[in-house]
Amino acid sequence: MKNAYTVKQVNSYIKNMFTQDFMLSRIYVKGEVSNCKYHTSGHIYFSLKDESGTIACVMFAGSRQGLSFRLEEGQQVIVFGSVSVYERSGQYQLYAREIVRDGLGALYERFEALKNELAEMGMFAPEYKQPIPRYIRTLGVVTAPTGAAVRDIINIAARRNPFVQIILYPAQVQGEGASDSIVRGIRMLEQKKTDVIIIGRGGGSIEDLWAFNEENVARAVFECSVPVISAVGHETDTTISDYVADLRAPTPSAAAELAVYDIREVYEKLSGCRRMLCDRITRTIADKRSKAEHMRVRLRYAHPRQKLRENRQYAAELENKLRMLMENRLDRDRHRLALYIEKMKGLSPLEKLSHGYSYVTTEDGVNVRRVSQAKAGARLRIYVQDGSYPAVVADEDK
Amino acid sequence: MEEKITLEDMFRELETLTEQMEDPDITLEQSFDLYNRGMELLKKCNESIDSVEKKVLVLDESGETHEF
Repeated sequence: MKNAYTVKQVNSYIKNMFTQDFMLSRIYVKGEVSNCKYHTSGHIYFSLKDESGTIACVMFAGSRQGLSFRLEEGQQVIVFGSVSVYERSGQYQLYAREIVRDGLGALYERFEALKNELAEMGMFAPEYKQPIPRYIRTLGVVTAPTGAAVRDIINIAARRNPFVQIILYPAQVQGEGASDSIVRGIRMLEQKKTDVIIIGRGGGSIEDLWAFNEENVARAVFECSVPVISAVGHETDTTISDYVADLRAPTPSAAAELAVYDIREVYEKLSGCRRMLCDRITRTIADKRSKAEHMRVRLRYAHPRQKLRENRQYAAELENKLRMLMENRLDRDRHRLALYIEKMKGLSPLEKLSHGYSYVTTEDGVNVRRVSQAKAGARLRIYVQDGSYPAVVADEDK
Repeated sequence: MEEKITLEDMFRELETLTEQMEDPDITLEQSFDLYNRGMELLKKCNESIDSVEKKVLVLDESGETHEF
């Protein structure tokens, strides 16, 4: 019993064996993920298993750049790393540096190849896209009869417009025969002549969504005379059917919103139209009425009686004016006359006669002012204050 | 679905119709005609919305439908 080794010695010896093994230091291991735990430290602990057994694995936080997806139970993966011993528990485990999904590479290649082929054939071309009718009455749905997708579509459609008839084709959306099931659903709903068809399913792995990447589904969507909305998985998942469909919806809920119009909006629009019509007709009537009133007033002014009245009034005005002018004129003349009379009074010879002078005229009434005006024997008239008498010139002074 | 959905067309016609009614030179008769047509359209719109709540139908392989 002299040569007993410590645990530490044995574990470190075994560890050293692993470390020196060329194969175990760089190894690819494939299997199914189980017991996967994301630790708060950032390390991921999981096991890889196959039919025969399991191997413990760890991916340290420092190696996380070697993992580009979320590791989940049941995934088929290939892990690259090294196998070594965890001395504390004396267990060997796989230290992962890189993890890729097994078989995905082939799937992506198929996806890309089909996508390119169909694109070249023009199956994604915008000119083949049918418009989604704005107001539908029937909605066809091709999806699994259970699960979130069908529930979301029915709930949202019913909330927006409970009067739209939904016809569900319960399809198998993953696994063997899924694409044939989806194709049959599209064809049968096309025969039912629904206004729009939604095909889709909830989120899942690329394998789960694969049926929507199959060529027969793509062709059925392309050939469908009814507009098709494709809603597969989450917003980030894109499938071939999304490219071929007349419209791509990010999720099944969004597809229902795009397909089913909101009945409340229509009711609002209808009452808006009614209000507008009533408004317009009332305005037109009021407009015509005010025009008629305007005409009535104008017509009344144009009546001959009105004209006659106006003429009569004008005539009366003119008469007044005339009379006034005349009177003014007369007043003015009367005044002038009075002035003349006063003036004449001052100039009258009779005034002078009252002072003892007399006024002598010839027979013709010409005032005699000079001797030469009357020869001897000429007949004159002499005016005095109270009258006149005739006179004859007796002689002439020599 | 024998009858084609015309809700969209009806809305379009209502739109042009109300526009025409805005024209101040329109005759009263025309205005009444447009109004009557508009009211008729509104009635049709309401009728075309078949306001009966629908149950989800499930289509089986033989093409028959039954309630979900």
